[in-house]
Amino acid sequence: MEQTRALGEMFRKYLTDHFRRIILGVLALAIFIAIWYLASWRLNESNGVLASYFPYPHQVARAFLASFTSPIPGPEAHMLNLAAASLERVLIGFGIALAISVPFGMLMGAFRTFEDLGKPIVEVFRPIPPIAWAGTFMFAFKAFWGPIAIVFVGAFFPILINVIFGVRSVDPVLMDAAKTLGASRKHIFTKVIVPSTLPYMMTGIKVGLGVAWMCIVAAEMLPIRGGGGLGYAIWTISDIGRYDYVYSIMIMIAILSILTAGVAGQVEQRLYKWMGMK
Amino acid sequence: MDGNEVVIKMQDLCKVFTKDKLKVEAVNDFDLEVEAGEFVCLLGPSGCGKTTVLRLVAGLESKTGGILSLNGTSITAPGSNRGMVFQEFALFPWRTVRKNIEFGLEVKGIPESKRREISDRYIDLVGLKGFENTHPRELSGGMKQRVGIARALANEPAVLMMDEPFGSLDAQTRNLMQKELLRIWSATGKTILFVTHSVDEAVFLADRIVVMTARPGSVKKIIPVDLARPRDRTSREFIAIRGEVLAELEAEFEKARAREISPD
Repeated sequence: MEQTRALGEMFRKYLTDHFRRIILGVLALAIFIAIWYLASWRLNESNGVLASYFPYPHQVARAFLASFTSPIPGPEAHMLNLAAASLERVLIGFGIALAISVPFGMLMGAFRTFEDLGKPIVEVFRPIPPIAWAGTFMFAFKAFWGPIAIVFVGAFFPILINVIFGVRSVDPVLMDAAKTLGASRKHIFTKVIVPSTLPYMMTGIKVGLGVAWMCIVAAEMLPIRGGGGLGYAIWTISDIGRYDYVYSIMIMIAILSILTAGVAGQVEQRLYKWMGMK
Repeated sequence: MDGNEVVIKMQDLCKVFTKDKLKVEAVNDFDLEVEAGEFVCLLGPSGCGKTTVLRLVAGLESKTGGILSLNGTSITAPGSNRGMVFQEFALFPWRTVRKNIEFGLEVKGIPESKRREISDRYIDLVGLKGFENTHPRELSGGMKQRVGIARALANEPAVLMMDEPFGSLDAQTRNLMQKELLRIWSATGKTILFVTHSVDEAVFLADRIVVMTARPGSVKKIIPVDLARPRDRTSREFIAIRGEVLAELEAEFEKARAREISPD
């Protein structure tokens, strides 16, 4: 009796630790697809106008697979080409944002002068949705650099804010310790503040990447000639009413976003391990 | 002690903190001379300014009055000639044991092979062999503080300052670390300025105990502990000195408590 209970306890724990997540995840997905089927079926039965907006899951799956082998109707491009175009812009815009926001955040976090200089500008521009720049940037910088500029604005602030917060959160006792060990201001910056801030920077990077994907899709939707990319594809496919393909593009966006978040997560894990903080 | 040279000289030392136009006198007319190789404990009720005295010597705070010098030179800023050990250990979590100990050598620009030689010596001294590549997170409290001590000593400072270094350790570890510290002290001959609020710890470790008054902190009485080491906590002499120190402290504790109840 006692043994059975102990075994049961162990089994329950194992489920908790590992299987539970997978089982519940699959279950949630199954329920979602079931509801989707039901909804599509209901709409198709009633022959309403809404039916065309909600194709069956298997129709979407078929369109998704087809989009890799034959051109997608509307944009007349392959899925991978569209994805590559968006990914390229996201990475360039995000990369520029990272390269500028990290040093700015470090300076604003560490030095009062830089904080006082930067704060008013940051406070004014940060609450403006990045997509508000779309009109200006798309027409000024055109199809390739326009979306990149919007991604840049979107990713810049989350990283900046987190880096500033990270610098502020440096343990003052560690700074004292460094001082008593003979560290100069430069040493304290490079050997205490920078490593202390890295985990905060990673948080900013993860948030920034998420915002970057939202920005790219919205930016590409603007009707600029020669745009390309997944946002452009969604818009042009919607125009001809192929919603099975619209959803395929949305699935692709989710996959890419999860992929880039996964890479950032891996980098973060490595960083923590290397820093001995995990 | 036996007429050794004075390493730290404090005379009429004062420290007033000003915050939001409010002035708080932390240390007032503090007088103390610490001789080379001496082990001095600062003891007093919490908030009496003993940590402030230590931070003044470290150069982490600047005095507002009086004389404060190390080997005849006035102290104005932190420097590697004064090592400090913190109650919170203050180890760099992203650095291994070895890299923590080498921090001071690194900022001095000592080449790697030489750094390694020095860190090896201090790792050995504090008994951390085999843990060179471990990160602080994986160490127990006692071991963390061994790193803290080795890191401070690796700079070969003239004075080692310790701010309640064993305050967060459990009783057993604490007793062990006290013995270890005495061993390290006799091996290196360092001058040690040690802050504690434990009477027992002070009597066990110190050559001289400086009992401080309640805030603003000044020297109330200096009690020499002329007992041979290792000291026996249960011996009659030990208990007698304990009693003497406690009696001096008692009145100050009362004062500190009275102020807590009715702050002026």
